[in-house]
Amino acid sequence: MVGSFGPIVIAIAIATAFGLLPLFLSGLIIPKMPDRVKNAPYECGVETIGPTSIQFHTRYYLYALLFVIFDVEAVFLFPWAVAYRHLGLFALTEVVIFIGLLLVGYVYAWRKGALQWV
Amino acid sequence: MNVAILSPEISLGAAAAVILLAEAFSAGNLSRVAILALATLGIAVSAAFLIPAQLAGVPTSSFSGAFIQNGFTIYFKLLMLMATFLVLLGSGRFLAQAEGRRAELVALVLLTTAALMLLVSSTELITLYISLEMASLSTAFLAAWMKHQERSAEAGLKFFLLNALSSAVLLYGIALLYGITGQTQLNGIARELVGGATPALLLALALLLAGFGFKVSAVPFHMWTPDVYEGAPTPITAYLSVASKAAGFAVIVRVLQTALPGVQTEWVGLIAILAAVTMTVGNIVAMVQTNIKRMLAYSTIAQAGYILVGVAAGTGQGLGAVLFYLAAYTATNLGAFIAIVEIADRTGSERTSDFAGLHARAPWLAFALAISLLSLAGLPPLAGFFAKIYVFWAAIQTGLGWLVLLGVLNSAISLFYYAQVIHHMYMVPAPSPAPGRSLPTLVAGLTVAIAGVFALGIFSGFFMGLAETAARTLTQ
Amino acid sequence: MPPAFPPLYPITLQHGLILGAALFSIGLAGALTKRNSIVILMAIEVMLNGVNVTFVAFARQLEPAVLTGQVFALFIITVAAAEAAVGLALIIAIYHLRHSVQIDEANELQG
Repeated sequence: MVGSFGPIVIAIAIATAFGLLPLFLSGLIIPKMPDRVKNAPYECGVETIGPTSIQFHTRYYLYALLFVIFDVEAVFLFPWAVAYRHLGLFALTEVVIFIGLLLVGYVYAWRKGALQWV
Repeated sequence: MNVAILSPEISLGAAAAVILLAEAFSAGNLSRVAILALATLGIAVSAAFLIPAQLAGVPTSSFSGAFIQNGFTIYFKLLMLMATFLVLLGSGRFLAQAEGRRAELVALVLLTTAALMLLVSSTELITLYISLEMASLSTAFLAAWMKHQERSAEAGLKFFLLNALSSAVLLYGIALLYGITGQTQLNGIARELVGGATPALLLALALLLAGFGFKVSAVPFHMWTPDVYEGAPTPITAYLSVASKAAGFAVIVRVLQTALPGVQTEWVGLIAILAAVTMTVGNIVAMVQTNIKRMLAYSTIAQAGYILVGVAAGTGQGLGAVLFYLAAYTATNLGAFIAIVEIADRTGSERTSDFAGLHARAPWLAFALAISLLSLAGLPPLAGFFAKIYVFWAAIQTGLGWLVLLGVLNSAISLFYYAQVIHHMYMVPAPSPAPGRSLPTLVAGLTVAIAGVFALGIFSGFFMGLAETAARTLTQ
Repeated sequence: MPPAFPPLYPITLQHGLILGAALFSIGLAGALTKRNSIVILMAIEVMLNGVNVTFVAFARQLEPAVLTGQVFALFIITVAAAEAAVGLALIIAIYHLRHSVQIDEANELQG
């Protein structure tokens, strides 16, 4: 087993070393003179102010939720579409009912103003 | 493929959809009476599909054997429809308070009932899992309905997280069972399990029992019950304690009897231990509770223990006793909870000590609560007494004498805390007269429940006969 | 027709089962020890994925003609999505009241 896989392992090891060794060596010999500009996170552009992890407003949640629900719908539609020719009319009826049920939920969400940005 | 077999569930789902759309297009002005009328119509149509099927008496199955209709499923479905109807009747004032969202509440209750009915009828593990989750997820929302009250929101979140955990455990058990047998049909699993118990099979059995044990709140999977029962709005607690529990037992009995008869000795032992621990812990902890909903939560845990005794008995007679017990328990618990809905609304308190002198202030409520509690304790001639007798008798005949002895001891303990509430209501003088009149719908619901408690007790022979007939169709 | 390059290390049932069991156990440990309700929800999703891997592994082993295990996995994915939607809604409700999603601070109900 090692025999057939061995060369690849050796190749990976050499490639890794080839990449890392110059970085390591240059790190040893270059002079280090840090200043404020060099330490900045970006060399150009606007500096960040305050903590970078911010909270999203919960109103995004509603869109994420609606997206997930109608997205997962595709999980069931895809196999049906692939096997459409074998399944025939009964499966078509079932899918229409399935989408109809989702449509009721969609109409409800719409009428209730869940799709409005408030 | 016979789609008509789904008519009872479809009627409920259609009623829910109509209520939701009517609400959406009436800009929130749908009246409480209209909502309840639509819901009642859905329930009535659903029952109208079930009763002829019961009279025809022909078991039918559809969807490649994933869905079955026989005496057993019809018994449970009628029980759940009845319970849903009574809960809706009893939730009048709560519906008025749930301003702006009552249509959604009723629709969600109907959908939960439809899911529980699907669960009772499913004979295939995918269908079973989907209907179980559908019921559980909507229940989590129902428990958190008063989302601006911390107690309610917290109850919903606790129920949701623990339920999701237990579902995952249950699923792993199902996956193992599928791996061992290559089947997801319950009778197919039974066909493949001929070799007896293997370690993998025992692990699957333990995981399944842990998952189902959570649904019926058997100790040690009961931790969610008191918190959720206390925090959820009381009508929802009533619904949870009867409909979900009945469906939970239906599915335990079906899976154990249909899919796992090959390891009956193993599961009888496990269920017997669960039953012993459940009733003992439930009763002992119930004694120290001061909140009536919490006390009743522990009381329902104890009741689940008694029902598990019948499940452990496992014979036709034992199953009949389980079915009868669930009917008696449904009527009794609904009586107790509907009375508490009204009492807590009027006194503004759920503490048992604040029920003092209730018989002078609200004689009918006090009487109803007293009768329900006595039935839960198991006093003749009420429904709870005969239910216990049947369950214990079936267990004695299968050699579970020790379990029955423990059950009788537990019943004696339980009398202590049930009687304490009755003592408060009848013996302690009232601090002040409480104003208020009950809604007529609530009184009607309460009366039906209490009449059920008496009827199931006095005509217990007749109802037990029905239950045994229904139970027999399970193992056919 | 056999594949042009037969796999050097065929993935067997054991690999699938061990991966599934490991995911399930990691998720279970997370769900039982963490205090942040969103993290618990994520841990439960990991458990469900462990179950999915187990199902697919069994389905592959058992009967290539009948795909019940894979169908089951599809349904679990759907239910997991619904579960996440419900769970996040409840967590947001709690967050609005308490400005925290830590479940050990959810102690309004105790017995």
